[in-house]
Amino acid sequence: MESKRYTKLAEFAKELLSHHSIEKGLPLISEYLKEVIGADRCSIFIVDNVKNELWTTHADGVERIIVPRDKGIVGHTLDVKKPVIVNDAYSDEHFLQEIDKKTGYKTKNIVAVPIFDSHRNIIGVLELLNKEGGFDNEDVKFMIFFAHYVSGFLELITTLGEK
Amino acid sequence: MKQFDKIAEFGKKLMSLDAMESVIELVAEEAKELVDAKRCSIFIVDKEENILWTKLSDGIGRIVIGTDSGIVGDTYKTREPQLVNSPYEDKRFLPGIDKKSGFKTKNMITVPIFNSKQEVMGVIQLLNKNRFDFDEKDLELLTFFANYVSGALELALLKEK
Repeated sequence: MESKRYTKLAEFAKELLSHHSIEKGLPLISEYLKEVIGADRCSIFIVDNVKNELWTTHADGVERIIVPRDKGIVGHTLDVKKPVIVNDAYSDEHFLQEIDKKTGYKTKNIVAVPIFDSHRNIIGVLELLNKEGGFDNEDVKFMIFFAHYVSGFLELITTLGEK
Repeated sequence: MKQFDKIAEFGKKLMSLDAMESVIELVAEEAKELVDAKRCSIFIVDKEENILWTKLSDGIGRIVIGTDSGIVGDTYKTREPQLVNSPYEDKRFLPGIDKKSGFKTKNMITVPIFNSKQEVMGVIQLLNKNRFDFDEKDLELLTFFANYVSGALELALLKEK
């Protein structure tokens, strides 16, 4: 518990709750998580049950990118409904190499954790890429806690915000 | 948007609290206001002792019950909210607590609070809606609310250890 990951949470949460749009909230969540875990990139995928797809945004939080929900590590996370750690991306059967090819970014390791809403349905996935030395169990433990911690905000904003 | 602002403001206040007791107190106050109920108790699960306890159950003092007793115990066991509008006709209801406190329970609603591991870590119990009975709308709102406050509660519990 002396870990900085937890002690800085309250400050972060207050900042998060002062924003009323998902566009402003998502980059804050990404930044916090990336920093405390020490990963190079973070993406948050949001489930759209109406369109039956997942979307995420660029670093600015605005422009939406649609992703198929049955593919890749994120799709796999939705299937198993549990965190997924992949410390050697290119040898994993679920990893989609096309995305790296398109972006020019080289993914080495990945961790993905589902976000549940108050009805225990998955409303999103937190994904981190490229941590030096790979992701460990402590990272996953914190991410599970963190996904739960921000789920209230995400649920609030998707049901009551943006209106 | 008004309701959003209210819940967000409450959230900010909640996040600024450290001590378990203050967190529980604020959550209970807000829950009462949300559904217009007279009393609120927040029960915390102690898995080792197989009990559910409240630090403060307004007006009554500390209550400890077994995880298998009463409507609160059933909420823990079934992991489902319970809406009981005639408690004295419900077999699970514990009239002994009313007797001790002198408070007459007219209706009750309970919702489980899940931690990040999807285990039930507590139960929010509300008693006596001021007008009418508790309904599905209250249940829906409290289900959301339980998840909304669960992060702060889990963090406060972690800090206590």
